[in-house]
Amino acid sequence: MKEYFNNIWLGLFTVFVGMKVTFKHLFTRSVTIQYPDVKLQLPERERNRLYVNMDDCIGCDQCARACPVNCISIETVKSLPTEDLGKTSNGKKKALWVTKFNIDFAKCCYCQLCVYPCPTECIYMTDVFEFSEFEREKLDYSFTTLTPEEIEEKKSNFAAAEAEKAAQKLAAAAAAAKKAEEQKAADNKTSGDKPEDKKE
Amino acid sequence: MIYDFLLKLTGSEIAAGFIQSLLPLFVFILPFALFAVLLERKVSAHMQDRLGPMRTGYHGILQTVADIIKLVQKEDIVPTNSDKPLFNIAPVLVFTGSYAAFAAIPFSSAFIGSNIDLGLFFIVAVSGLVVAGILMAGWASNNKYTLLGAMRSAAQVISYEIPTMLVILTIVMMTGTLNLTTLSELQTGYFWNWMILGGPVAGLVKLAFIPSMFIGFVIIYISTLAEVNRTPFDIPEAESELVSGYHTEYSGMKFAMFFLAEYANMFAVSAIVAAVFFGGYQSPIGYLGNTLDILWLIPIEQFFWFTFKGVFFVFVQMWLRWTLPRLRVDQLMALCWKYLIPIAFVNLLIVGLITVL
Amino acid sequence: MNIYDIIFYIFALATVGSAFMVVTTRNIVHAAFYLLLTFFGVTGIYVLLTADFVAIVQLVVYVGGILILLIFGVMLTNKITNVQIKTGSLQLFPAAIGVGLFAGILVSALLNTEWKTAAGEAPKTTLNGLGFLLMNEYIIVFEVLGVLLLVALVGAASIARK
Repeated sequence: MKEYFNNIWLGLFTVFVGMKVTFKHLFTRSVTIQYPDVKLQLPERERNRLYVNMDDCIGCDQCARACPVNCISIETVKSLPTEDLGKTSNGKKKALWVTKFNIDFAKCCYCQLCVYPCPTECIYMTDVFEFSEFEREKLDYSFTTLTPEEIEEKKSNFAAAEAEKAAQKLAAAAAAAKKAEEQKAADNKTSGDKPEDKKE
Repeated sequence: MIYDFLLKLTGSEIAAGFIQSLLPLFVFILPFALFAVLLERKVSAHMQDRLGPMRTGYHGILQTVADIIKLVQKEDIVPTNSDKPLFNIAPVLVFTGSYAAFAAIPFSSAFIGSNIDLGLFFIVAVSGLVVAGILMAGWASNNKYTLLGAMRSAAQVISYEIPTMLVILTIVMMTGTLNLTTLSELQTGYFWNWMILGGPVAGLVKLAFIPSMFIGFVIIYISTLAEVNRTPFDIPEAESELVSGYHTEYSGMKFAMFFLAEYANMFAVSAIVAAVFFGGYQSPIGYLGNTLDILWLIPIEQFFWFTFKGVFFVFVQMWLRWTLPRLRVDQLMALCWKYLIPIAFVNLLIVGLITVL
Repeated sequence: MNIYDIIFYIFALATVGSAFMVVTTRNIVHAAFYLLLTFFGVTGIYVLLTADFVAIVQLVVYVGGILILLIFGVMLTNKITNVQIKTGSLQLFPAAIGVGLFAGILVSALLNTEWKTAAGEAPKTTLNGLGFLLMNEYIIVFEVLGVLLLVALVGAASIARK
């Protein structure tokens, strides 16, 4: 009998205790935020989408080599000696046209390992984390500042320069050979009896 | 009152009766359901330190409108192996049951569907139809969860009808009437004339009634809570175990009908509690219309007070929902048969004694 | 024919038609739900006869109580997965004789009774008169019925405890 009334008392009393608790929560500030409108303060060293400041990039390929998942692909073209590419912000001289600097964020694991080796600190993590896409190809970001025509131009410039160089070299070699021939002929004429020269 | 007005307006008994029977639906149930669903979501959210719907309109006030539009557009799915006629009738039956209760609810002295002498009894009686509809839905869906939910619901509603009836009997003993308008008129004046504070009698008898009335109020509130399948008595539609019970298989407008019926029922039982114990449509602090001498203002004020009381008890139902965990079936039955019914009986005897003496 | 007559015929038709369906349908659950319609039609007729208390008691006892228990029983006695619950009609011939006899008695009673058609207002509510009658004139019957129900209740409880 005592237990019976105790049960009734407890049943009612605990309900009111619980109702007090829930009523308090009715007026506490909500812990959720309106996400797309209000965003949480990200931690100071958050690792999200990479960004490459192409003005500073010297095309050294160190980030690509550091990447554990090979998501960075870089192609460079040497500049002509006549071209001035300017300097990076920390005073390094740029010598390469970066014709391709692609980061595939579908592969990227946000490890930040590419950031450390960069000599000019031009690749770094930003706080952007909403960049989902419907197609996987769209996640392959291209950072190069050159237009395709420019890339073609640089490539052809370089090829032309190379070709010119090769032609020059060839010409030089031919000239040298000719000279050597002439020299030889002259030598043969002047000192045909010197056996040591022949051996050289 | 409304009927007389409509009779004058249309000049035909049938048209007046018809319009009057439609009034609660369009004036009250639909707006109330819209409001209550939003209230439910907002109250739930804030009690859990969330914000709830915030997108549609200012703080999500148009959320339910958007939901209704969505539900109307939805495909009406009837399961292949269901009992199709019963499956289609069930939501209508459930809604009929809860809508019929509104016929006898006195919103104000001028706005009552039918001022029958057995109003209180009638409201309890037609809730039986809801059970039949729930059983029909559960069986016709041909799904084990719906059937389980329907069974539990029927068992629960039948059990908890007894304490409700006993408490109503207590009130009848005190007042000698089942007419809800008369009951409300009895409690006129200020809030100390309400039943919960001993009714309109004066002196020592009033003091003697107060504890019994409080007990009666707690019992009827608990049992009506069980009758409308609200937490902590929501085992018939336990989302986490029965995938919301008897209306699992329903979609689109039929589901909306169940939903509407549920919220209409919530208000109906709150209205019973308000009408019986909390003065019905009577204002607790007197009428503005009386002080300003504008007679037509009084029914409007009464409508406001009745709605306010009803919505307050609906709010308490939601409040309890986030306070108490769900009861087990045995606990549910133990609460009803071991606690509520004996206490209600003793309460009945005490009130009877006091009334006789 | 005024509106009340039309309503009466609708209710009467619903009652008789659904009662007929109760006995002819082969699906037990359907039969139970047709019974709901029958009870409901009877309630409507009671209301039309201004017997409000009886009407509501009909709702509480038959629709809210007996019918629910009936459906409950039907559903629980069969497997949940087995939807096809069928009944058949047995012994058509003896049944026809019984029904014919009963119908004959009813019709003869109908024709031989002098129906009172006293003009006058129907009472607005039957509740007060019923209460007085139950507590004065029929107090013995009322008490005996109460004791009978109590005995049934105690008996059910004691059986359930075993």
